[in-house]
Amino acid sequence: MIYKPQSALIIVGHGSTVNPDSSGPTFDHAEAISRQGVFGEVCCAFWKEEPSLRQVFHMVDADEIYVVPNFISEGYFTQTVIPRELELDGPITTRGARTIKYCEPVGNHERMTELLLRRAAAVAPGVSPSETSLFIVGHGTDLNDNSAVAAKREGERIRERGLYAEVLNAYMEEAPLISDWDALSTQPNVVVVPFFIADGLHSYQDIPVLLGIEQEPTAAASQREIFRKNPRSLRGRTLYYASAIGAEPLFADLILEQVEAFDLQHSTIPAF
Amino acid sequence: MLRLTQTLTQWLEKGGAEIGEVRIGVREKEFSLCHRDDAGREDLAIFHGPEAARGLSNLDDHGAYRPLKSAPNLRHGWALFISGIEALRHALDYFYPAMLGVWRSHEMRTLSPVPLRETLERQTGMYAVTRKITDRQAGAMVADFCRTDGGCLKRILWPLAPGTPVPSLPVEKTNAFAPAGVMPLLCHEACNLLVARAREVVKKGEHLA
Repeated sequence: MIYKPQSALIIVGHGSTVNPDSSGPTFDHAEAISRQGVFGEVCCAFWKEEPSLRQVFHMVDADEIYVVPNFISEGYFTQTVIPRELELDGPITTRGARTIKYCEPVGNHERMTELLLRRAAAVAPGVSPSETSLFIVGHGTDLNDNSAVAAKREGERIRERGLYAEVLNAYMEEAPLISDWDALSTQPNVVVVPFFIADGLHSYQDIPVLLGIEQEPTAAASQREIFRKNPRSLRGRTLYYASAIGAEPLFADLILEQVEAFDLQHSTIPAF
Repeated sequence: MLRLTQTLTQWLEKGGAEIGEVRIGVREKEFSLCHRDDAGREDLAIFHGPEAARGLSNLDDHGAYRPLKSAPNLRHGWALFISGIEALRHALDYFYPAMLGVWRSHEMRTLSPVPLRETLERQTGMYAVTRKITDRQAGAMVADFCRTDGGCLKRILWPLAPGTPVPSLPVEKTNAFAPAGVMPLLCHEACNLLVARAREVVKKGEHLA
């Protein structure tokens, strides 16, 4: 367990200018970590919201600052946008009295597989995995974004455990498309877990339309009075749709473990 | 440099009572916050703790999302009670993210405004096109998008380019002066919303060309 009362933690999220729930989990994890008192200061920064990446260093007093991207994969944002906007030189940046330590994104954590399995089990209690098709759904895009690669990696890891009758990957914008979920799967039960950071535009509004749960995109989760119910009988199957993996409270632990991993990787071993 | 909570404490001791649309009342180390338009109202919904500020600042009076927290559309009808200066700092960072820190940096003369051209030049991906915006287009865009009445309450400290101020902005929009008791909201660099708008302006221009 780390304890850094003299240091600050900045959790970086994508955020959204259209969906009020996109930044919610990032703030939730920051509040959970703040309550633990592990860091002297904890705050968030976003690409699309405030505080912005250009503002956030003004918000902290500490000279030692850890930055953890709350992103599902390495890619354009973690490798280009965040370092550019924060003016980072690499994993460790020294600026005056300050040292900024840039950690791996949360999605890279090896316990992600465990969280996905946990979420899949929680959304379909009492349902036998041996009669269930499990979908791990990623965005899929032509940007320099490895979200599809990360979703595929997690799919393989879960498949290796042999728990579910089948484990499939599907995407919003590239084949295999999640909209073909009934043709892609064979089992009577279908569990869909969005490999996304938040129940924002994609996982709350877009994917339900692609699955056929909704006819058209609904309002955002926080702007609706009715929450979705599971399961749904659809296209001859029993469909369970989970909330985004990033909403899992254990994500806060993974953020802290990414800090720990950074220290382990960059610790200097005293010479004898 | 004073720590952020010390900066906030000193500001309050000197009569600080308003930031953006939030009015701050102080009794001992207890703080009461409300929309400045609601000061004196007794029918406000009561909330406690800094974390409630997140929800209060996220949607406007009509339930619409507020992606820009410094837009002049903070919802009405609430009172938030907070204990302790650290919790107040936390709440203010939900209502007006980073504004205490940016103001402190300005007061300490360590704030470096970034010209709009510099912000646009470093964009990549879908925003790389924003560098094509003309000075005339940029001036009109900022005057509209960032206008205090209906756009954004922040004061714009950055120029269009080094030595070239943003044309057509009123003087009061481009300095950090604030009346006694008011902490100004300062903009030292164009936000992502403005960069996104610049993309729309350029794309629209290309479409019309």
